[in-house]
Amino acid sequence: MDLSKYAGLFLAESREHLSGCNQLLLMWEREPANRDAVGGLFRSIHTIKGMGATMGFTGVAELAHRLESLLDAIRQERVTVESGTFQLLFRAVDALGEAVEEAAAGRERAPDPALVAALDRATGQAGATPAGPAPPPRRRATDTPRARSVQVIIRADAVMRGARAVLAVRRAESLGRVGAVRPPLVQLEREEFDGRLAFRIESAATEDELAAAIRTAGEIEAVRFEEPAPVDGTAGGRRQIRVDLNRLDRLMKQVGELVVARSRLGVLAGQSDDPALAELSDRMSRLVSGIQTEVIAARMTPVGDVFERFPRLVRDLSRDLGKRIRFDVEGEEIELDRSILDEIGDPLLHLIRNAADHGIESPEVRERAGKPPEGRILLAAARERNSVVLRVSDDGRGIDRAAVLARARRDDPARGEAEALSDDALLRVIARPGFSTAQAVSGVSGRGVGVDVAMTRVRQLGGTLEIRSDLGKGTTFLIRVPLTLAIVRALLADAGGERYALPLAYVAETVEFDPRAVTALRSREALVVREQVIPTVHLRDLVASRERPAPSRRPTVILEVGERRTALVVDALVGQQDIVVAPFDAPRGMPPYVGGATILADGAPALVLDAAALR
Amino acid sequence: MADSPTLHAVIFRIGALNCAAPAGIVREILPRLDATRIPGVGQAVEGLVNVRGTLLTVLDGHVLLQQPRREEDEGAIIVVEVGGRRYGLGVGQVVDFLEVPAHAVAERAELPGIDPRLVKAVGIRDGAHFIVLDIDALVAPIIGS
Repeated sequence: MDLSKYAGLFLAESREHLSGCNQLLLMWEREPANRDAVGGLFRSIHTIKGMGATMGFTGVAELAHRLESLLDAIRQERVTVESGTFQLLFRAVDALGEAVEEAAAGRERAPDPALVAALDRATGQAGATPAGPAPPPRRRATDTPRARSVQVIIRADAVMRGARAVLAVRRAESLGRVGAVRPPLVQLEREEFDGRLAFRIESAATEDELAAAIRTAGEIEAVRFEEPAPVDGTAGGRRQIRVDLNRLDRLMKQVGELVVARSRLGVLAGQSDDPALAELSDRMSRLVSGIQTEVIAARMTPVGDVFERFPRLVRDLSRDLGKRIRFDVEGEEIELDRSILDEIGDPLLHLIRNAADHGIESPEVRERAGKPPEGRILLAAARERNSVVLRVSDDGRGIDRAAVLARARRDDPARGEAEALSDDALLRVIARPGFSTAQAVSGVSGRGVGVDVAMTRVRQLGGTLEIRSDLGKGTTFLIRVPLTLAIVRALLADAGGERYALPLAYVAETVEFDPRAVTALRSREALVVREQVIPTVHLRDLVASRERPAPSRRPTVILEVGERRTALVVDALVGQQDIVVAPFDAPRGMPPYVGGATILADGAPALVLDAAALR
Repeated sequence: MADSPTLHAVIFRIGALNCAAPAGIVREILPRLDATRIPGVGQAVEGLVNVRGTLLTVLDGHVLLQQPRREEDEGAIIVVEVGGRRYGLGVGQVVDFLEVPAHAVAERAELPGIDPRLVKAVGIRDGAHFIVLDIDALVAPIIGS
C-alpha cells in the first residue's frame, strides 16, 4: 500500500504534537512538582509513535518509543525527575522533530544511538523493547473459509483515520477475501471519513484472529462481527476538514478578481438607465462581499500558531545569557490571514531576541536597580478595527535616547539639533540598517540589531512598527498589520492625466505644494514641511508625462518609509480605493518605483507606486 | 515550414506590411483597447490593458516594425503566447485567418523595409506577399527576463 501521500498529513499532525510537547515541557519545567503535563506529553509521543509505525518510519517510531518509555516511567514514579531530565526531554523532543521532518522528506534514518542510550539510562533499562506493530497472524489453511460482516470503528481522536482504515482493510485482506467495503476505499482517503468502516470478509480465520490483525492498524476502538450499521456522516455538530493552503490562495485570488469585476459592474450599472441592471449590480455586490468575507475568514489562523515557538526560544536564550526571564503570551486566539501570519514570525523573532538579549538585564543588575531578578517579556496580540496589533514588551533597561542621539549625530552631522528624540525619531534612528553595531551602542542597549529587518518585513506586509521606551523601565514594540493582504487601501494620484495608486500604509500626510517652502537639500529640491526638510519628487517629471500642463495648485503626498520621507508632488488626488494588486508580465527596463499594477473601478489598469523606491 | 502540409496563420496589417502570425501561438484577437502607459520602458510597449480582469502587456507592432500608422486602420490586439507568457501585439488591422499550402510559403527571404531577423517565412496570398513574423524574435528584446 502506498502511504507516501499521507506524508504531508503525518508531518502536519506530528508538528502539532511536537509543538504541544514543547509547551508542556516548558510548563512542567517551570513547576517541576506539577505532573499535569506528563500525561499530555505521553499521549502526544504515543500518537507520533503510532503514526510513525503506520507510515513505516521505524526510526521515528523507535525514538518515540524510547521517549514514551521514559515518560511512562516518570508517570508511574519509577523514575525521579532530576535537573538533567528536562534537558534530556527537550533534546529528545528536538531529535524527534528532526526525525519526523527527515522521514517525511523521504530521508529516514536510525535515531542517534547516544540519545537512545541516554533515554534508556534515564528510564533505568539497558535495552528497551524495540517499537513496531505486531506481525499479522498467519492464516491457517486447514479451516474452511466462511463469510462474515465486519464493522471497524477507529477512535474519534485518532489522526490519519483514512490511512488506518485502509491499513485495516489491507490487514484483513491478508487473512481472506474482502469485499463490499463501505464507504468505498477511495472515500476512506478523504478527510470527511468519520472513522466507521464496514466490509465483508470470507476467511478461514477465527474472529479473534481477524480482530487482532485489524487492530494492528492502530487506534482501532472496536472490531465487531455483525451486520454493518448504516454509515452516517451527519453525526456531531461543527465538522472540520483540513484544506490545502494553496487551494485557499487560489480561491482568494479568484475572489480578488471578482472584487475587481464587481467594481467594474458597479460603474457600468451607474452609467446605465436600466433599473434591473442596477438591482443586479447591488445583488452581485452583496454576494461578492459575502464570499470575500467567508474566504478571508477561512484563511484566518490564530496567532498562537506562530507564538507557540517563542517560549522555547526565550527559555533557551535565557539559559545561554545567564538571565532569568519569564515569557508571557496574551491573545493567542486573535486571528490573522495565514499569508501574513507566515511572514510575521521573523519580525517577532528579532524583537523577542532583542528584548531577551539587550533589554532584560542580568539578575544582579536588576536587583541593584530595585527590580525583581526575573525579567518579563510579554508577547500580546489584540484586534483593532481592521488590523491586529502585536506587542513585544519587556521590563528591561529601556533605551538611552541621549546616547542614541549622540551616535546619530556622529553618523550624520547635518542632523537637526533636536534636544530629545521622539519615539518616532528614535525608531527611525535605530531601524537604520547597521545602526547599532556592538561598538556603536556600548552604553546604549544594543537595540537596533534586527529592528531594521523587522521594520522592513512589517512594511512589506503593509503594516507599521512603533516603539515606546522608558529608560530603566523597559521597551515596547508595536507591530500593526492589516487583517489580510488580499486587499490594499490606496490613494489614487493623477500626473499628466495618468492615475497612479499609492498604498496608504506609506502615506504619512498630504499637504499643498507651496513654492515658497521650496529649498535645497544636498543640491536637490526639497520642501520644508513643519520645519522638516523633505526631498521632493515630481511625479509628472518622474513618469515623463507628456500630457497637459501642470496645474497651478498641486497636492503633495508625504511618503514615509522607515526613517526616510519623500514629498511626492502630484497634479491631483483623485480618491481612495481598495485595490487588489494584479500580476502582469513586466517588460524590460521597468523602473523600480513601479511596484505592481491594479485594475481600478472603471476597469482601467493603473500602476501601483513603490514608495520605498521613490526618492 | 516546408515539412508542414499547410500553414494556419492570422493575417494582419502593420503599416504598409502584410504580416502573419502562426495560429498556434495566437490565443485571442481583441479590438483596440486604451492602454495604461508604463513609464520608462520605451515606445515599443503600448502599456497595460484589462482583459476580463487580467492585465495584459501590449507591445506596439508599428514601433517594433518601424511602420507608420494608417488612419483607415481600426487597430486590434493579437494575444500571443511566447515562452509561457501572454503578450498583446498591437496591429493596424486583422485581415484574415488563412490556411496556406506549404508550397505557397517560402523560407525566410530578404525583404525591403524589414529586419530579416524578424521574418520567419514569406508567403503569397491573392498575389501579394505576406511576412510570417518570428514573434519570438520580435518580442525578445522587450519582454522581461
